[in-house]
This record gives sequence, C-alpha cells and structure tokens, in this order.
Amino acid sequence: MPAEVKQEQSPSNQTSLAMMQEPQEVVEETVTIEEDPGTPTSHVSVVTSEDGTTRRTETKVTKMVKTVTTRTVRQVPLGPDGLPVPEGSSPLGSYTDSIDRRYMKNGERFITPQATSTLTRSYNNYSDSYNDTPDTQFRHYTLHDGYGDMPDNYGSLSRGVNYRPYRPYMPTGGYRPENSYTLPIRKDDYGHVAQPQVPMGSSTVDLNRSQPERFQPEPYGLEDDRRSLGPEDEEPYDLEPDYSTANRRTLPGRTIREPLRNGPRVRGYEDPIEAELIDERHPYIHGMYPAPLAQPERGSMASLDRMGGRRSPSIDSIRKDPRWRDPDLPEVIAMLGHPIDPVKSNAAAYLQHLCYENDKIKKDVRQLKGIPVLVSLLDHPKAEVHRKACGALRNISYGKDHDNKVAIKSCDGIPALIRLLRKTNDMEVRELITGTLWNLSSYEPLKMVIINHGLQTMTNEVIIPHSGWEHEPNEDSKPRDAEWTTVFKNTSGCLRNVSSDGAEARRRLRECEGLVDALLHALQSAVGKKDMDNKSVENCVCIMRNLSYHVHKEVPGAEKFQDPSALQAPGSAGTQRKKKDDAGCFGGKKAKEEWFNQGRKNGEHDKNYDTLDLPKRTEPTKGFELLYQPEVVRLYLSLLTESQNYNTLEAAAGALQNLSAGQWTWSNYIRATVRKEKGLPILVELLRSDSDKVVRAVAIALRNLSIDRRNKDLIGSYAMRDLVSNLPSGQQRPAKNLEEDTVVAILNTIHEIITDSSENARSLITAQAIDKLVAINRTSQSARETKAASHVLQTVWSYKELRNALTKDGWNKTHFQPIAAGTPKGSKSCKPGYDDTTLPLMEKSQGHRGCSGGDMIPMDELGPDGYSTIDQRDKDSKYKSSDISSDLQEREPLKNDTNRKHYIRSNRPTVSLVDACDVKPQPVDSWV
Amino acid sequence: MSFIPGQPVTAVVQRIEILKLRDGDNLILGFSIGGGIDQDPSQNPFSEDKADKGIYVTRVSEGGPAEVAGLRVGDKIMQVNGWDMTMVTHDQARKRLTKKKEDVVRLLISRKSLEEVVRQSMMQR
Repeated sequence: MPAEVKQEQSPSNQTSLAMMQEPQEVVEETVTIEEDPGTPTSHVSVVTSEDGTTRRTETKVTKMVKTVTTRTVRQVPLGPDGLPVPEGSSPLGSYTDSIDRRYMKNGERFITPQATSTLTRSYNNYSDSYNDTPDTQFRHYTLHDGYGDMPDNYGSLSRGVNYRPYRPYMPTGGYRPENSYTLPIRKDDYGHVAQPQVPMGSSTVDLNRSQPERFQPEPYGLEDDRRSLGPEDEEPYDLEPDYSTANRRTLPGRTIREPLRNGPRVRGYEDPIEAELIDERHPYIHGMYPAPLAQPERGSMASLDRMGGRRSPSIDSIRKDPRWRDPDLPEVIAMLGHPIDPVKSNAAAYLQHLCYENDKIKKDVRQLKGIPVLVSLLDHPKAEVHRKACGALRNISYGKDHDNKVAIKSCDGIPALIRLLRKTNDMEVRELITGTLWNLSSYEPLKMVIINHGLQTMTNEVIIPHSGWEHEPNEDSKPRDAEWTTVFKNTSGCLRNVSSDGAEARRRLRECEGLVDALLHALQSAVGKKDMDNKSVENCVCIMRNLSYHVHKEVPGAEKFQDPSALQAPGSAGTQRKKKDDAGCFGGKKAKEEWFNQGRKNGEHDKNYDTLDLPKRTEPTKGFELLYQPEVVRLYLSLLTESQNYNTLEAAAGALQNLSAGQWTWSNYIRATVRKEKGLPILVELLRSDSDKVVRAVAIALRNLSIDRRNKDLIGSYAMRDLVSNLPSGQQRPAKNLEEDTVVAILNTIHEIITDSSENARSLITAQAIDKLVAINRTSQSARETKAASHVLQTVWSYKELRNALTKDGWNKTHFQPIAAGTPKGSKSCKPGYDDTTLPLMEKSQGHRGCSGGDMIPMDELGPDGYSTIDQRDKDSKYKSSDISSDLQEREPLKNDTNRKHYIRSNRPTVSLVDACDVKPQPVDSWV
Repeated sequence: MSFIPGQPVTAVVQRIEILKLRDGDNLILGFSIGGGIDQDPSQNPFSEDKADKGIYVTRVSEGGPAEVAGLRVGDKIMQVNGWDMTMVTHDQARKRLTKKKEDVVRLLISRKSLEEVVRQSMMQR
C-alpha cells in the first residue's frame, strides 16, 4: 500500500546525503611520506576527516629524495645479498619491495626503525667528521676534486662517508641547491676511475636504465655520460619522442646495448659500475620523489655501501654530481611503459606522489593518457608494479573531478581492479584496490558498473572473510569475530556508496550471496565486542539501512506479506493470523496456536502485539530475509544504545525507520518488536542527541513506529516532551539549532502521533507546544516548517473536546488556521494536488474518519508518487523534501483510521514507555 | 532439539517422576521453567533452535524433589502427565505442573546429552 509508506529514508538519500555533506571524498586519508632534513626518515601523516562518508585515501610521498636515500642506507646491510645477483634487475626488485613496504603502508607505521637508525648513523658520522652544513657543500666538492688523487683517504672513511654526497641534499630539502652543486670536476674524476672498470653484466643493466633518465642541463654532464655510455645513447627513446632530452632517448638503446658491451668485462669491475649507477640515479634522487629511477639507485647504493670501505673515492664524487632534474610528467608517464619493471613501478609511485592532492596533475595525467597505461599495469605479474600502479590510480581516482574516475572506468579499470583483487593476496594491494574502488564508487554513474563487475568478488574476497561469517559453520569451528581491517573498511565503504544507487542496486546487493549474512554477522560481533564506533561498523550499518529501504516493496515475494486489511488493525488478531496462514506454509501449527490464543483468558490478550507470533521458520533465515527479521531490531537497538558515532546512530535509526515503514507483515512485527525490546525509550533518549541528523532519523523512525497503535500511545505519552523541546521557540531556536529538515521531521512526527489520538493531542498541549507551534506557524522563515506546524495545529483544533482547554489558555481558532493571508510561503510551494486549504475544513472528528473513502484515493495517488519522487530527489537533495513528506503525512493518518479507530481506546492502559504488557505478561521463568 | 510445528517430533526422551514436596498448602517441585509459545524464544539460553518455544527447565533447587528425581537445568519438558508441553503458553505449563490434587508429576523430557549418547551408541553399533 503506497499510502502506508511513511517516510522511509531513501537509501539513496542517505548515502548521497552523506556524500554530499562531505563532498564526495569526505574523509581523506592522507599519507604523506616525508623526510625531514635533520633525520632522513620518512614520515607518514594520516589525515582523516571525521565525517567521511566517502572516504578517500591518498598516499603521498614527499621528498622522495630523502626517502630514497634512507632506503638506500637501510639497504646497505641487506645489500650484499641482493646485489650479487647476476641479473641487473634483481637488486632493483628488492629495493622496490622495501620501498613499497615503507610507503605503501601509507604511512601508518611508516618509519622503519632500521632505516632511520642506519641512516642517521651514517649521517651523523658524516657530519661529525666533516662538520658539514648545507653551506659547506661546496667544500665537499672541493674535496672531491682531490678525490681521485687520494683514494686512500676516502677508503678509510666510514660507510657514512659514502653517503656524504647526499647529505647536503637532505638537509636542504630543496631541489635547487643541488643543481648548484654540479661540478664538472667530479665527473671527470669519476670518469677516469670508473670508466675503465666497466660493470659486470648485472649492474650494467641498471646502469643503462638509469642513465637515460638522467637529464643534464649543464654542458659537462653530457660528456661524462657519453663517455661511459657510448655513442649509442643518442638513439631516440621510443616511448617519449617529445622528450628529446638526449639522455632520455638513450634509454632503450643503452639498455640493450650495454649488457653486450659490458658483458665481456664482467666481474672485476663491480665497484666502479655501481658507482656509476649511483651517479646516474642522482637525478631522480634529487627529484625528491621516489622517482622511477630511484629503484635502481637503491640497488647501486647497496652495493656501494658494501663496497664502501674499500671503494675508491670516486664514488662519492660521482654521487655528488647534481646535474639532474626531475622527470616531468610526460616522461614519467612514458616510463610507465619502460621495459624494465622497476622503472615502471617507480614511475607509478612517482605519479602517485605527484597526484597527491594535486588536481591539476591528475588532470594532466588523464590528458596525457596516463590512466590507461596505469590500468594496464594492474595486470602486470610483478607485485611491485601492480601495487604502485594501483596506488597511483587510487590517488587519481580521489577528488571531485569525476572525469578521472570516468577515465579509469572507460579503459576497463574496474574489471581490472576486480581481477587483481581476486588474484592478489597482498594486503597492501588489496587495500589499494578497495580504496580505489571506494573512490570510484562515489560517482553515481559508476556505481552500477562496480556492482556489475565487483559485487560478488568484493563480497567473497573481502566482506565475508573479514566479517567472520561462515557459510556453513563446522561443528568445531568457533564463531569468529569480524576484523576491522582497512580492506574491510574500504570495501564496505564502496558497497555503502553503491547501495544508494536505487532499487536495482539494492536488489543486486540484497541478492548477493552471503552479503547480508556477513554484514549482519559483522555488526553482531561489533555489538558483542562493544566496538561499534569505527568506520567499518558505520559503513555496514549504512548498507543495511539502505538495503532496508523499501524492502516491503522490493523483495521477492513481498506481495505475499502485504496484508492491507489485517495490517492496519493490529487489534484483529484472529483475522490476521488466518491471513498469514493463507499466505504461507505453516497451516497446521497456526490453527493450534490460534486455539491457544483463543483459550487465553480475556480481551486483554487479543491485542495481538502482545503475543506476536512470527511465522515459524522451517529452515534458518538467510540472505536478504535477514534484513527484516525482528531479530535485527535488537541489533539496531544495541547500536543505538552503545555507539558514539553519529553516523552509525543515524543509520541505525534510519534502518528502523525503513523497516517500520510500510504495511506488510514484517513491518508490523518490527514495530511491535521495537516496543517489546524496549526500544522506544532508547529512541526517545536519542531525541536529545546533539547531532541534528540523529534527531531527525529518530524522529522519523518514531513516526513510522507510531503506525502501531500501542506505540503511538506510548510515544504520545512519553516522547512528546522531548519532541517538543526540539522545536524552536519563537525567535530563538533551541540551543541545538536544528536544521529545517529536522524541525519538519519532528513536526511531522508530532502530527502523526496526535492524529487519531486526542489523548496525545492533549499531552501535546500539556507539553507547552502550542506556543511554539503558533510561533513557527507565524514567524518561521521556512515554508516547510510553517506548513508542517500548521498541519499540527489544525489537527489539534480538530479535537473538539480540547477546544475548551485551548480557549482557556487564550487561544482561538485563528491561531490554528493556516496563515493564509500575508504569508505566501505556506501553500505556494506545495504540490498543486495537495492543498492545505482543504485541511481546515476537515475536522478530525470521529465522523470525519469514517469518510476515509474520499481521502484514500488521493493518498494512493500521492503515496507512491511522493515516494518515488523522494527517491529521485534525494539523490541530489539532502533529505526527503519537505513538501512531499508533508503530503504523505497528512494523508497517512487517514488511511489507517478506518481500521484503527475501533479498537483504539478500548485498551488504553496507563502505559509506561516500556509497555508492561509487552514485557511479557508472565514471568519468564516461574518456580513450580 | 528443534521441531517443525505440525510435524511429528522425533526426540530422545527420558521419563522423570517427581514426587512433590508438601510445604504447608503448597506443593513444591523444586524447579523453575521458562519458555512457552507466548515468550520470546530467542531469549531462551537452553534451546538449540532459537525459534523453539518449548518449556525448558531453567533452574533446579538444590536438594529439591526435582533434583532428586534427576531433572537438570536445560531439560526440555515434552509432556507433563501425558499433556503436551511443546505448544503451550508459559502459564499453561505452570498450571499443568502445579495441580494441587496431584502429588506426582511424570515428565517426559528431552536433553541434549541424551541425544548425543544415543547417537554415539548407534554409531558404535
């Protein structure tokens, strides 16, 4: 019944709302890796914004130069093992790994102690011996000049000495000083020493690779390179024709050739080669970023360190050679296609860094067609390559520029990410993948794509395993708790976003095998562990809330449970039960139960909410059915009681709101179960929350819950004061200063509560609400508030029995009429079909209710439309829009009236909010 | 042990005969029951199937007639003096157990451990 649909939170609203509120990428997790000058260590700072519905993570690597250095140093001890490897690339590989570990972690535990310590040590040594300050850099060079001649001295230097060259850079932190360093002399020295010693095969590869990248603005630099590299360098670089820097072009050529050239020379030359490598790396190092080339450097460094003691001084001098610049964007993108894997991965890592919080670069990357390349790297077999590519994509996908997200999608990035998720077991990679998907999921048009490609995979690969839920628990396996991992958080965030994409999305998620079960399990374990303030829980609740939206219309077989006639009349227990039997399965038992019920003594018991008989299940409930089983009520109530997270509170209240909407069997159960589980006091308590949206969600939930007659009585008696206290009084708003939406929601709830209940209307008057209502009606700047208040007032006035009291208080009819004249606000904005002016005419007397026929019709029309409209609208607008909801509100009471009125006052106990009757009439446990 | 309403129940049961203890006007069995079709079955800590609304023994007083007779906490009462107890309200069960004119109640109870014993012995054979 459309009419019944009260306000449900449309999931889309919620989600999108969240997104809107915190613009798409609300939460930003930033990992910044920096090294500070003094201590060459890397820092990771994580910035998380509270609100974050949508949470994005970016990793930033700052000042790579230093980072690189650090690693290198660190590597030193490790180096010997890795380096000897015959293949040039292998050292690189190891390097990469360590780097990845460091910063990919995104900084949470970012600094590796070893690295730091090592680095520091060397650094210190260096400082001590040389007493260097950035200013003295030149001095070093001077020394270098002397180098060639005095190898011995250098050799004696500690390992730290080897690093010395870097030192100046690190403290400075800037790029420029380095350039100034450039001294031709060094090169020469190096050249002399190094050149003859051509590297062994393995190192050659590295060397080659690195060399091309190096850019030397200064005249001298080139010469050196040439020398060592040979003429072949000149060959054009395939990938980046644009970048004609001579060095660059040479890349491919060298790579290939060098090995050949050097091949014969093999072993003996290791040291020099390495030195050369180092030299070449420099450019990247200088860049401060983990430039693509940085990797090779590491390898070389390591070897360098190894050799350090005995090495010839030339290395130092080589390193000092500053004539490098950072690769620019097209170069970096071109490097993504470089044949050597470490270059690829370094380029990707560098890109990730560049893109961090830099929308311009992201855009440039997109326009330079970097995104398809990165996506293609996702399928790369080498872990560090796809990891870094994924990291870059995550940063690129973050931000308001949806074109970046679309670009990832249009080169089939989403299936690629999902493929990788299926393939990899690396936690970091999974975090990156899911983080990227989360980012992508914030853009509406991509939601369905993500669902189509990744829903089941994300569920199977992440949600289910991390939730602790098991399909078929073994006898001996203990129930596991959920693990709140980053992967789970990211994935649930992604699903949370996609779950707001309308009915089809909801259907897909509901029917996704194991998803609902796992989410519920996770939430239950959160409640069990009293750990429910975290983001993962918030995401899970939000998904549940969204999936609960319109559940009474959308789940398969929902029609069976639609029971219009019986539903509105909770009093007519017998009929309802029979209806149920017809619908279902449990015929035999039902009859018996009914017999028992009849056998039960008196009229008290015929309010069937006391003995709510849920359909018996022949097999355990699973899948989407779990969404609306009364058992979930307790879960949500626990969350509402325990959680401190406003978003979680809002979502849990929203879930109850959604479940208690509509007129099907299950929403009846839910409404009664909330009462039985003593949920009403919990909800009322939350009306005092400081959070606007929590108050709003709770108010709307209470409204839906009051479809149940007994709930309405209870809420009217015990929640009225809290509801009223949330209303603005006269000019000044209450301390909380609630938003318009919230005020309207509260007014609508009050309206619902006093409809058909003069008792409740009386308690409204007692709660001093008339003052406020009249004030809102007359002075509010908001048309929606005015209108909602006016509806409440009209309803109050419609109870003739109350008019006396009202008149005594000094009110008269005009106070309760809509302010037609002078205030254009009220009805103008309303839908044409629904006009307020008719309201004053209707009197809410018993007689009036009888004539519901006429009223029903409009309701039916409006109901569904209103709903769908809301649904749509909400995607953009924040909440349900006022007009519509108020329309619904007005009508709704009428629809229910027909059935309700008969039994209404028959048994109206002096109820306490925790209904005594509900609490179980009999002792739960009695001695015999 | 769970059952499906309307379906025959197969259960391993044990007969327990409790002689009520007279205490003035009161007859005491020395145990307490929980459950019933009017109760929330999910709160029953003893049932295996949380939808089971049967009557369960929740407490047994030390040295009381029930303990002497071998009744244990967690037993599910299937019958009392021949009356079915699997589909009754809590109050009905209580009344059935506390008839003033009956000095003896004969219970048919099922117990998880019993089922296991039977299952094991069957497997051994």
